[in-house]
Amino acid sequence: MFWQTGAIIFLAVALGIVVNEIRPDRLPLVADWSMEAQLNVESGQNITISLDRAKRSFFSQKAVFLDSRPPEHYELGHIQGAQNFPWEGFEKYFDTVMADIPQDALIITYCDGISCTWSKDLALELFFRGYDNVRVLVNGWSLWVEHQLPIDEGL
Amino acid sequence: MAGAFGWNTSFPSMKGYNIIGKINMTVIKTNNNGQQKRFFLNKPIYFWVRLILGIIFALASIDKIIHPAAFAKAVYNYQILPDTLINLTAIILPWLELILGIFLILGLWLPGAVLLSNILLVTFFGALVFNLVRGLDIQCGCFIISQETTSNLSMCWYVIRDGIFLLLGLYLLSHIFSGKRKALTTSMKNQL
Repeated sequence: MFWQTGAIIFLAVALGIVVNEIRPDRLPLVADWSMEAQLNVESGQNITISLDRAKRSFFSQKAVFLDSRPPEHYELGHIQGAQNFPWEGFEKYFDTVMADIPQDALIITYCDGISCTWSKDLALELFFRGYDNVRVLVNGWSLWVEHQLPIDEGL
Repeated sequence: MAGAFGWNTSFPSMKGYNIIGKINMTVIKTNNNGQQKRFFLNKPIYFWVRLILGIIFALASIDKIIHPAAFAKAVYNYQILPDTLINLTAIILPWLELILGIFLILGLWLPGAVLLSNILLVTFFGALVFNLVRGLDIQCGCFIISQETTSNLSMCWYVIRDGIFLLLGLYLLSHIFSGKRKALTTSMKNQL
């Protein structure tokens, strides 16, 4: 039984690595999955924003906040004045949400959790579409609540 | 009539041939169908469970093999493995699932394949329950903030689904072990 288990594992490892090496869309065997690394755009620029900078932009009303979570999360509570732009439904919401937002506006996307990918995916897609001033507040909702910053609740 | 000249005649050397020795394709086809029906109807539950689990493993692997980057992201969203193991898992795990699926379907190296399938199923189930308990949505790697949200319901559905797969796996494992135990007892009796 155990030699069979070992042989199957060996076969899977060999097949996986060999096929990965010869395919055009190969993955590196080891990659940096930190959120910072994921938020580096092609030019090498990092599109994260610190809580302090986001807070300053919020109080000076220089930024548009986009909540990338689904509507049921957004409705339970969100950063004051933030618009809901769920990543899962990007095409559906794009025209409505982005209609009044100029391309050079400072846009701050957020969701909840250090590893939450919605805000990152939303920001990268907006960046790709020409919104060069988009930033991600990683773990935004939790950080905002934790620091008792203004929120809208239970809409 | 058909059965008289087919696979189950009393003339095994003349399978598929009629009395005058010409190939009678209709007879062969009819008898093959009948034999196939009997073949499948006579199979025990163990066979069907093995087949179902094999198909599940094989089908689950295909999309992951075609889209390794998307699967790597799914692994990342579980937030269990260290960064250094995410890509390796995304590269190797789908092939392991495919091999296990094929081996379960064909009945090859069953003790090893069934043991390994169970190890995988326990790991998947454990990872899901762990994330459900700590409130992490595996669709996005983000927190579940309400018990009533759709993400939480889908997590519950995944747990139920993987729980059923695990039960199938455990059934196969118990079958393999009980078979081994019986064989051991018989051989010991024979030696005595």
